[in-house]
Amino acid sequence: MNTECKKGRNVKKSKSDMVNLIGNVDQKDDLKYNRRAFLKTAAGASVALGLSTVPFSVKAMMGMAEEEEERVEITKLANLPKGESLTFNYPTENDAAILVHSVNGELVAYNSACTHLMCPVFYEKDSDTLLCPCHKGYFDINNGHPISGPPQRELPLIELEVTNGTIFATGRKYRHG
Amino acid sequence: MANKKYWVIIFLTIAINVMMVQWTVESYLGREYEQVVLFSGIAIVSACIAFIALVYWKRVEYEAEQHE
Repeated sequence: MNTECKKGRNVKKSKSDMVNLIGNVDQKDDLKYNRRAFLKTAAGASVALGLSTVPFSVKAMMGMAEEEEERVEITKLANLPKGESLTFNYPTENDAAILVHSVNGELVAYNSACTHLMCPVFYEKDSDTLLCPCHKGYFDINNGHPISGPPQRELPLIELEVTNGTIFATGRKYRHG
Repeated sequence: MANKKYWVIIFLTIAINVMMVQWTVESYLGREYEQVVLFSGIAIVSACIAFIALVYWKRVEYEAEQHE
């Protein structure tokens, strides 16, 4: 049965002021988007957020069971003069890293994948910084923290040990400084 | 509103869970696995509280309707 008024008054977007007074009331929407539905959705969102952390904790528990990093020889100290850098892989062959003998004479090593979009970082001797050329991200050579550009997190630090003129990588720290 | 407390509880759990998701991801990227498990645990407990609050709220909400 057609319930619409022949004069077109009892319809949405009517020209009648009296109809437009209740133009914002729509029973379908009222049944679908109401106070109860809102709270149910909010509770669902809360549960979904809580459960979304579960995969991380599962992966974390698997990560905790992994073995400790081993001690790996990188190079001889004599092969790396001040102001020079060397690329190597640590702890696995897939983790590129950079060892820097800074202008000040300090030895530092970081995983060289930029924490922005994983481009390799390079040592800039002139400014004594690490540079990611992809988006001009600069990292402090002393602590691996970003100093300008898009990166927000520090580079993973590789712990070093020098024994009898040989440089060894002994571990890795993600949060440092 | 008699069941206002359930609204407050549910929205508090949302706020907590948003923070926990953020902290869990940050800790995971930082390989701080103990903290990941801690934050994730808090998030799961908070989610359970939200669910229980919803169940109680439903009970109160629809009970009131039946008496009308």
